[in-house]
Amino acid sequence: MADGSAEARVDQALVARAVHGNDRRAFEQLLRRHQGMVRAQLRRLTHGDEASADDLAQEAFVIAWKKLHQFRGDAKFSTWLYRIAYTCFLQSYRKSIHAIDGKHDDDLDRVSAPASTMDLQMDIEYAMKRLSAGEQAVLLHCVQLGLSHDEASYVLAMPLGTVKTHATRGKAKLQLLLAAWRETGN
Amino acid sequence: MNDQPNDPIDALLQKGFEGPVPDDGFSARVMQVLPARRPRQRWVLPAATAAGIVACWLALTSTSLLRAAGRDWTTGTLSPPILVLLVAMVGMSLLATWWAMTEADAPG
Repeated sequence: MADGSAEARVDQALVARAVHGNDRRAFEQLLRRHQGMVRAQLRRLTHGDEASADDLAQEAFVIAWKKLHQFRGDAKFSTWLYRIAYTCFLQSYRKSIHAIDGKHDDDLDRVSAPASTMDLQMDIEYAMKRLSAGEQAVLLHCVQLGLSHDEASYVLAMPLGTVKTHATRGKAKLQLLLAAWRETGN
Repeated sequence: MNDQPNDPIDALLQKGFEGPVPDDGFSARVMQVLPARRPRQRWVLPAATAAGIVACWLALTSTSLLRAAGRDWTTGTLSPPILVLLVAMVGMSLLATWWAMTEADAPG
């Protein structure tokens, strides 16, 4: 917690320098501090499409630079960046003719257990793709990126109750899917 | 709700997450495409607001609308001048609400 608040203070100071002093080097520091997680977020959202994820990340940081004066510090800077990145992803997704996974909640009964040679990480990946887009997004942000439900609600522009519901349902489905995997004797 | 059964799922998901992506020149590439930022003109919004208020005041005082509306308001009469002012105020309120909601929806 102390580390988190210290990091937030550093971010705030860098934002102040970048905004009031028009200091590009301060923004570069912000960029270097946060690019790794923002790109990881986008790689997950694009299901491993690194080129698209990096294009979206670049777009997100350019928007952040342009709108930096609008950052009010109500949320953590990283959360604010996640929100911009997620918005970029959604806009790109809506333009795309390809569905990310096309899976719906009722697809669960058609899921078969993964091959026995697949390792645990691939099984998790496989199971995640069986969830709805909302459940995947909530679990990505809450569990893997470590955001609170409130922060995920802000990033995803989703009501808090919906975030909690997606988290609960998503985890329940994963338990079922992974239980089926375990039943195969792996 | 009992969260205990979900803990292994959290652990598995975290284990399956690769973590931050190495920079590998990404930051340098972004810095090269950052546009130049014009200094913010802080005086524009207050000046525009003041100009709007003055324009409204001049427009209203040049007609008898404001005086008529004030007179009718004190006598409790719902007259056309009052209706015109009410419609104008409601319209401006709706515009301000729309603008505020647009700003609130924007990231940041």
